[in-house]
Amino acid sequence: MTTTVTLAASMRGGTKDYGHGDAAVRALDGIDVDIATAEFTAIMGPSGSGKSTLLHTLAGLDRLTAGQSWIGETEISALSEDKITQVRRDKIGFVFQAFNLIPSLSAKENITLPLDISGRDIDPAWFDEIIGILGLGDRLTHLPAELSGGQQQRVAVARALVARPELIFADEPSGNLDSRSGAELLGFMRRAVKEFGQTIAMVTHDPTAASYSDRVLFLADGRIVDEMREPTADAVLDRMKQMGH
Amino acid sequence: MFRLAVKSVKHNPKRLVLTAVAVALGVALAAATFTLTNALSGGFSKLFDEIYAGTDVIVEEAPDELGDSEDPFAATDAIFAHGDVDDVAAVDGVASAWGGRQVSGTVLAADFEPSNDVMAAGGAPSQIFNWAGDPRVDQATLIEGEGPASDDEIVLDVDAAPRLGYALGDTVSISTDIGVEEFTLVGLVRFGESNSLQGATLAYMTDARSAAINGDDGYDQISVIVEDGADASAVAEAIDEILPEGTRAITGEDKAAEQTAQFDEILQYIDIFAIAFALIALFVGAYIIVNTFRIIVTQRTREFGLLRAIGVSGRQLRTMILLEALVVAVVSATIGIVVGYLGALGLSVVVEALSGEIFGTVTLPIDAVVWGYVLGALVTIVAAIMPAIHASTISPMEALRESATESKKPLRLRNIVGGALTLLGVVAIVVGLYMGIEKPYIPVGAGAMILIIGVTLLAAQVLVPLAYALKAMLTRIFRVDGKLAANNIHREPRRSANTAAALMIGVMLLALVATFTESMKSLVTEQFQGNNADFFVFSAQGAIPEGALEVIEGEDGVAYVTSTGLGTVLLDGEATAVGVIDPDTAELAFDYNNEPDFDQMDGGAFIDPSMVDAGFEVGDELMLEGAEGTATLTVTGRYLNEGDAQVWVDEETGHALLGDYPIVQSMVVLDDGVDPEAAQDQLLDALAVDYPLLVLQSPGEFEQLANQFIDLLLGVISAMLGAALIIALLGVANTLLLSVTERTREIGLLRAVGVRRRSIRRMIRIESMVMAVFGTVLGMILGVGLGAALVRALEDFGFTTITVPWAWLALYTIAAAIAGVVAAWWPAHRAAKMDILEAIAFDG
Repeated sequence: MTTTVTLAASMRGGTKDYGHGDAAVRALDGIDVDIATAEFTAIMGPSGSGKSTLLHTLAGLDRLTAGQSWIGETEISALSEDKITQVRRDKIGFVFQAFNLIPSLSAKENITLPLDISGRDIDPAWFDEIIGILGLGDRLTHLPAELSGGQQQRVAVARALVARPELIFADEPSGNLDSRSGAELLGFMRRAVKEFGQTIAMVTHDPTAASYSDRVLFLADGRIVDEMREPTADAVLDRMKQMGH
Repeated sequence: MFRLAVKSVKHNPKRLVLTAVAVALGVALAAATFTLTNALSGGFSKLFDEIYAGTDVIVEEAPDELGDSEDPFAATDAIFAHGDVDDVAAVDGVASAWGGRQVSGTVLAADFEPSNDVMAAGGAPSQIFNWAGDPRVDQATLIEGEGPASDDEIVLDVDAAPRLGYALGDTVSISTDIGVEEFTLVGLVRFGESNSLQGATLAYMTDARSAAINGDDGYDQISVIVEDGADASAVAEAIDEILPEGTRAITGEDKAAEQTAQFDEILQYIDIFAIAFALIALFVGAYIIVNTFRIIVTQRTREFGLLRAIGVSGRQLRTMILLEALVVAVVSATIGIVVGYLGALGLSVVVEALSGEIFGTVTLPIDAVVWGYVLGALVTIVAAIMPAIHASTISPMEALRESATESKKPLRLRNIVGGALTLLGVVAIVVGLYMGIEKPYIPVGAGAMILIIGVTLLAAQVLVPLAYALKAMLTRIFRVDGKLAANNIHREPRRSANTAAALMIGVMLLALVATFTESMKSLVTEQFQGNNADFFVFSAQGAIPEGALEVIEGEDGVAYVTSTGLGTVLLDGEATAVGVIDPDTAELAFDYNNEPDFDQMDGGAFIDPSMVDAGFEVGDELMLEGAEGTATLTVTGRYLNEGDAQVWVDEETGHALLGDYPIVQSMVVLDDGVDPEAAQDQLLDALAVDYPLLVLQSPGEFEQLANQFIDLLLGVISAMLGAALIIALLGVANTLLLSVTERTREIGLLRAVGVRRRSIRRMIRIESMVMAVFGTVLGMILGVGLGAALVRALEDFGFTTITVPWAWLALYTIAAAIAGVVAAWWPAHRAAKMDILEAIAFDG
């Protein structure tokens, strides 16, 4: 990296313990992470490496035991629960592995939910563009139960994109999809980064998924053990094998 | 299977807590009533023992052939002459016979002031008798001073003297039918063993004075003491043979048993009344149980699917659910019985502290236990049947499905059944109210129940469009919170409908009662519109003494007094209520609802609608047989209100039939130009000397009084419905709580994308409020409708106007909205503090 990059999120000395005394488990062990803007960052690691905890604490869904974390310029580790909720609402988008959508709302209502919550107006041009790219035009009035798994995940991505958040966190977004739908979804996410400058941080344990990213962080035992730029599936797989995965 | 059921209940007891509370509340209501009435029965049977057991044989009027409802404490007519007492005394085996006589009157307190207040003038009754001087006859023992020896002396019971403010030697005033009589207090007596008089005042005077006050030296009862070793029942039989017709001899023991049995019969009605309310409460509780088990079955679809997959049969699953219901029923019925018993115990302590000992030992009667378990188990099992059947149809494949969403079965069947039931209910109610069936309350009650279930079923269909209609409005007001709340109500229409319906039942009954009572008020108001009387005269003791009317008639400014008397005569062997009026003045004072007016009576009789139903009509001849004589009268007109008296006659006929009949109401009309307020003071002053307990109400005051009674009625019934309403609110809370649990992921997701806790809470609150208001509105529509039907059916009793109780309805709606918010408090709290990570955590 030769130029200074602005950071969408960062963490310094991030430590997270679960439980107390003998039963205590250290999920994050003084971790330092930077998520650069307009980049697609993948976080990889074996089960129990702390990758989900890293995502949750970065996104303000969970609190650090020690250390600091920022979303943009805002230090969320110092904020009240209500303020964190506001940060999530205004600056962050989410795509989970499953159960992404409110079952009683139509696809369109689900997509505009973040805007509805914060009372912002929809930008119709932007909405149409996203819908067009994701191919959801004829599915907008459907309830989630009437959509296929791939369509549901695309709706979730649309929802994450529509409010133009500073950062989108994705937790195994393609984990429940067949390989074709998964590839499609990851392709869309990559396009969002390339064409609109969207920042995405994604947790995955699938080397193929990781290969869509610009940069892969490898986690083990609550620490970052390696980093890879412009990854390919094979390179990531090799690296994971070395880690004993 | 049973072990699995118990384990399942134990494993997640929280979701069944509110269900158990609902059942326990209903059971407690029934158990408390049984305990209290049982204790009351014990208390009164002890009292009757003390009244009668000391006397070996009692000679009295035979149970009334005219079918009067017998009040065991009222003074009866003198039916025995002195010669009768001598005859009885001469019978073999009789040691002594005493003539007994009760004096109708009220012992006034030392500091008594006339108050013209109907409520205050009542008080506990006085029981005044002639003094025999033998404890076995008097049932009272002299414990201080002396018995009444001269005619101006009196004795009181030991508790009454200090309560009324009298000490030995004081002058005691008694308000009687011939005016206020004065006595010197010479002694104190104890009634029976412990002077337990249930708050009444007991007094004794000499035989001569009691005869003078009653204006008759006959006796109403003869008490007999048998010789040592003689058999009381044999003596009673011997006495019976020499007695005049219409009287009988009965042993003291038998008399006490007879009175206890009669009293128990009255208590049985209280039991039935309370069980009706307990059943309403449990009926509402059943809705909660249905909902709870329905949700539990949905939540456990995977578990059931797994059980099916490993070879558990559908029938076994069904049995398991029903066993779970049974476990819940037994536990909650036990709690309910204990709570009901403790509540009754507490209540009895409070009541006795306020009004003296009226209960026997408060024990838990077997009735309470049996009814408690039967009601609890029945309601729970019946309510769990549908969810259990649903569970038994779960296929093993469900275990493998991704999400546990309830399949969206169409509502068609539900709508058809609901519509049919609604129709059936309405038909049953109409038949009951308008067809003149013998026991109209049976089709009406059953019809109302069927109607409720029908409407509940239909409500699911009504809710869908309604939730959508509300969605736009709620979205505008509350934005996303409102939209999500509306969606949640609409998502599970069955569940929301059941929840709202539970509240609907309670509110329906409230609205029904309110419609009825408000229409009753309209009736009162209308009746007073045709009123010319300046005052209505009442007596707290029942009948109005003739002397009092003479006092009023003698005052300046009084034009005339017209009175209504009541009595019973036989018509073709049937006891018939007869009203006596003065045809010349009655119609001038009050515009009676009759055809033609009373002044056209012409020495004949008017008949009421019940007589018309029985086949009588104008022009017929009536053969009336009274205590004093018989009369054959021509029917000259119709009295159009039912429920006052069946036959109306003039005063001359009244005296010929009944002799002296009690006057229940008098109306005073003043001369033109006399100021009513001044006249009221003047009349009260004049009455205060001899008749201080008489009350003189102006029409305005009377109307207000009538309205107060009506409001009291509304209040009592509302309080009794309280249990049902509380259970309904528990139902709303329960449904929300379970659905919050069910929506864990969804709420977690909302929180993750930035919905604040406050918003989540608000969402649940809106949901609760809408369901509560929806249930209330449905309930009000049904309640006002049924109330109006009821009022129409009672047209014969004078109801003409159906008054919709708008003020009450508005109040109920506001109360429902508030109750909705209150009911949502805990579920909203739970939803808001839900851990996001837990909510969005995945199984895999």
